[in-house]
Amino acid sequence: MIEAKGLSKRYGDVVAVDDVSFEVGKGEVVGFLGPNGAGKTTTMRMLTGFVPPTDGTAVIAGHDIFGDPIAARRAVGYLPETPPLYPEMTVVSYLSYVATIKDVPRSGRREAVSRALERCGLGRVRHQVIGTLSKGFRQRVGLAQAIVHDPAVLILDEPTVGLDPLQIREIRTLIRELAAPEQGESQHTVILSTHILPEVEAICRRVVLIHDGRKVVDAPLAELTAGGRTLDEIFARETTRDLADEEASS
Amino acid sequence: MRHVTSVAGRELRGLFVSPVAYAVLALFAVLAGVFFTLTTVAFNEGILRLQQFQAFDQLAQINLNDHLIGPFYDSMAFMLMLLIPAITMGFFASEKTNGTDELLLTSPLTMWDVVLGKFLAGVVFVALLGLIVAAYPAILFLYADQTAGGPELGKTVAGLLGVVLVGWTYAAIGIFASSLTRSQVVAFLLTLVLLVILIILPFVADMGVAGASEARELLRYLSTEPHLAELRKGVLDSKDIVYFAVMIAAFLVMTKAAVESVRWR
Repeated sequence: MIEAKGLSKRYGDVVAVDDVSFEVGKGEVVGFLGPNGAGKTTTMRMLTGFVPPTDGTAVIAGHDIFGDPIAARRAVGYLPETPPLYPEMTVVSYLSYVATIKDVPRSGRREAVSRALERCGLGRVRHQVIGTLSKGFRQRVGLAQAIVHDPAVLILDEPTVGLDPLQIREIRTLIRELAAPEQGESQHTVILSTHILPEVEAICRRVVLIHDGRKVVDAPLAELTAGGRTLDEIFARETTRDLADEEASS
Repeated sequence: MRHVTSVAGRELRGLFVSPVAYAVLALFAVLAGVFFTLTTVAFNEGILRLQQFQAFDQLAQINLNDHLIGPFYDSMAFMLMLLIPAITMGFFASEKTNGTDELLLTSPLTMWDVVLGKFLAGVVFVALLGLIVAAYPAILFLYADQTAGGPELGKTVAGLLGVVLVGWTYAAIGIFASSLTRSQVVAFLLTLVLLVILIILPFVADMGVAGASEARELLRYLSTEPHLAELRKGVLDSKDIVYFAVMIAAFLVMTKAAVESVRWR
């Protein structure tokens, strides 16, 4: 469903993302890991079409992000690091606006909005103005915005940041449900970025680890932890290896 | 292009849940009333004076369009320069501070959907201001002496069209300024600076510093003022309409380029 082919992003001389390629199959939940500043957000922005890559391309649900950007964007639900909310709108009017610009046909809009409200547990605050909501609710509105048009691909940038433990558990459950839905509901492919390792262990089946803009690990979680190693150790080893190499050579 | 109206609708609703739209409408309505009253009083005094001097030739020349409605339109166009920046300042700047630009630009919208949607919101708001302006000439049609020197419909409507076209041009300029910055204050001030430059161009031309007469003509042509003046006279020349169309198109194209350039950086 998602195919990143040699994605690179350079800002002048600074290389933010360097030749990152990976594939995500239908219904997979992939954890996109890396220390802060590793290039996670930039990679996700390239996949969603917000930032054009300097090199490489990506194919989302069969649509090239350069060849058919509109169709590629239609297939994506995206929750950026800060939820893109209009503080003066009510939850319902915001979601129906998003449904409109995401090409949900007029006849199905009301239902799409109420389904998103229900899935994200927003029924109680549906008529509340977004600016008056707590951080947890805002994050959920952000998630509802990403799923309102029932996209094939979900790209979530740190979906649980700033939430309390209970809310984190709810969001994780929701993401798991989106990838492995009950009968009659469509299946979503999910990439989520995080630097919270237990989160990956809780919901992801595969891990892509990037460090300094490069992909350093791309493997199923079960395989990585097979030898009794924890994700913690792998993360620490991969993201400090450069330092160790440099010390060894000097 | 299907989403132009969705973008415009959201922008307008955003304006009307904030106090800005109401403040601007109220201020504009009050100022329009004040200016209309002042212009009417001045008009009456002018006529009285001419009668005292028995200047019948000049009295015969006086009419409501050139000596009352026209100056009123001019002062309204001036008010637009001060008020439109307050409306358009948030059009792109607030999307950036809310982070909603990330939503807009990752949605299946074209860049023109976004830019034209914002402009359409400006067009509708300016049209509302135009309705307020229209109320005052309408009073003259109801109560003024409709014989010699009375209001002429053609001139009045053409002048009103001119005021609205000036407003739309200012809105396009304001939207461009808003696309350049994250700060609404900066967008407001930048719009004001651009509009002041546009308005003083004919004065610069008249100061004689511009040198060649072609340069003077160009400066004058670039300003909205001479084009509004033509329309006020009831001259509906295509070259004035083309001027407004070109100005609006130019600033919208620059807006699109400005929004796109941020993504490519």
